[in-house]
Amino acid sequence: MKTKNYLILCAVIVVVWSGILMSVPAVSDIVEQVMIGFLSTYAT
Amino acid sequence: MLRIILQVIGIIVLFGAVTIVTLKFDNMDADGPSILFPGGELISGDLHTGPDPDWTFTDDVFFVELQLDGPMSSRRIFIMESEGKIYVPSGYMQSFLGRLWKEWAFQAAEGDGLAVARINGIRYERQLVRIGEGDAIEGIAQKMAQKYAGGGGPEAVARGMQSVSNGDTWLFELAPRTSVAVGSK
Repeated sequence: MKTKNYLILCAVIVVVWSGILMSVPAVSDIVEQVMIGFLSTYAT
Repeated sequence: MLRIILQVIGIIVLFGAVTIVTLKFDNMDADGPSILFPGGELISGDLHTGPDPDWTFTDDVFFVELQLDGPMSSRRIFIMESEGKIYVPSGYMQSFLGRLWKEWAFQAAEGDGLAVARINGIRYERQLVRIGEGDAIEGIAQKMAQKYAGGGGPEAVARGMQSVSNGDTWLFELAPRTSVAVGSK
């Protein structure tokens, strides 16, 4: 992928993903559950 | 090929970074924490006044919300009642990830420990006092094992006590606020 297209993709990811996390609580809850599971496993 | 691999790695890292930054900032001024990320000041809920209640009701409470006054932030946390007092744990204290995750415990231990616990929608003004040793540890470890480690068997209790004694788990009593601490606020 060319650099320009890659940067556009990154910008789209930032905007769309942060929007989903802030506006759909169910998604952010699942993401946080996964993160806490990761921490509980590897933060030993 | 290397370029594609690096681009994929970059996107994965970007997802992680966006997730952490978004959830952290989205929660930081909220009335209470999210599942993992700290929230802001606990505002809603009646403020308890008068003598302490019988804390055994917390045996049926899996998480409480704990606000530290300095710096102002709140998080979800386990709670254990033992011999009429309530305690909160902070685990993983000796690992790198744990130190990042449980920064509040260092702040509580080094600061004045003023805190507010919201339990079943009621806010209780308390003071965090770290408990490192003493007879109370066994009772707390017993309750911790019963509530959070699938049972209070001798091995689970011994593991809990070992974790406290070697500093991997810190315990704080949610003690009544002292007049000195309140005056220094």
